[in-house]
Amino acid sequence: MDFVTLGGNLLGTIPLGDIVLYVTPFNLFLFAVLLGFTLLIALSKPETQVEATMHNLNNTEVKVGPKEFKQRRFLSIICGIASAGAMITGDLFNFTLFMALVGILNIGIVSAVKQTTVLNSAFNYGLIAMMCSLPLFGGAAIILAATGTLSLAVLSQMPASPMVVFGAVLMLIGILGESGVAPFFASKAEMFRTAGSPFIVIIHLSSLFIIVRAVEILLLVLW
Amino acid sequence: MRIGVLWNKLADPKNIPRLFAFSLGIILIVGLIVPMALNPDQLYPRPAPQVQVDEGLAIAPYDRGGEVLSQPGIIKPQYPDNAEALGMITGYMSPPAQWISSISPYFGTSIYSSPGGLIDEILYYTRGFDTILESSILMMSFIIASWLSINYTMNRKNDEKEIKADVKKAINESTQVANEVKVNDLKARSKQLRRDN
Repeated sequence: MDFVTLGGNLLGTIPLGDIVLYVTPFNLFLFAVLLGFTLLIALSKPETQVEATMHNLNNTEVKVGPKEFKQRRFLSIICGIASAGAMITGDLFNFTLFMALVGILNIGIVSAVKQTTVLNSAFNYGLIAMMCSLPLFGGAAIILAATGTLSLAVLSQMPASPMVVFGAVLMLIGILGESGVAPFFASKAEMFRTAGSPFIVIIHLSSLFIIVRAVEILLLVLW
Repeated sequence: MRIGVLWNKLADPKNIPRLFAFSLGIILIVGLIVPMALNPDQLYPRPAPQVQVDEGLAIAPYDRGGEVLSQPGIIKPQYPDNAEALGMITGYMSPPAQWISSISPYFGTSIYSSPGGLIDEILYYTRGFDTILESSILMMSFIIASWLSINYTMNRKNDEKEIKADVKKAINESTQVANEVKVNDLKARSKQLRRDN
């Protein structure tokens, strides 16, 4: 499928050697929304959770300390920028690299927390993210071997062979695992059960947007 | 098995990496029956295996020809307009590399000894943005790792809940040990009684 049919008229390209970022209204909208949200995160203060204690008339506050706050805000901003970059990239391998960067930042945002249950689920998510590098980069490599190119603009004009379909399926499972979609959601859903709301939301939002973009890329490659 | 049991198992973070590894394995096994063939029209062209070795070239599998700054080597960009000076430093080798390649026919057999210019042209010229991203992934992981090594978040020594759980465990274990001792004591006594009678 041509990307003009998917995303609307081509507004322009950003050439960086072989990697050409392209801007259509669809991609531009995703890019702008993510950058706007990143800006909001950079300015906002984290929420504090109040937990009721069992067998007691008592509440405990789960606060984000100043050191933890700085680390998590920094990583969230980078995560927002990385997922915004994934929205306008026009290169398959470039997209997988953005995806890997977002995955590692998601672990980093959560690893600054001091709740052990959350850390355990972050560890399990980390295991998946580590495994995901095989299908993500392997899928891109198989598509490169089958078609001889990584540029989405060229790939969208090519017919899909069985090898390309296999590469796309491999990439898909990598994306599913990395962004924590069903049935691999549990480890990522448990990570959200901690204080510091805007930082936690960027984890959610980045995987959401990347899934949307991944669907577009798979349509470009396969149709 | 009821489907509710399955859903409950899926909700445990511990099971998710196993499930993911299993489904990845299934897809990789399916990949064995998919017909695979290398498209000869590659973006980053290279001669067929062993051709350059049979010809006896000094930097055998990585010889792309070209003369530094005068004649472009064999290298193909996706978008020629964006990389006009491509190929001009493909054949560049440092003086030590030139000397080693003049005395040994095996110099080109590792990626480290391929003409330095070729790697530079792909990594920093045509695919430079990828290189920036790769190193930023590394930088982020170093930032996270160093933060974690300074503020050890997995430290459970002073965690109240953890202490309570430990105390409970210790109490349980000590009662268990006491019970075992009691049972053994009883056995020994009955044995002694039997022997006495």
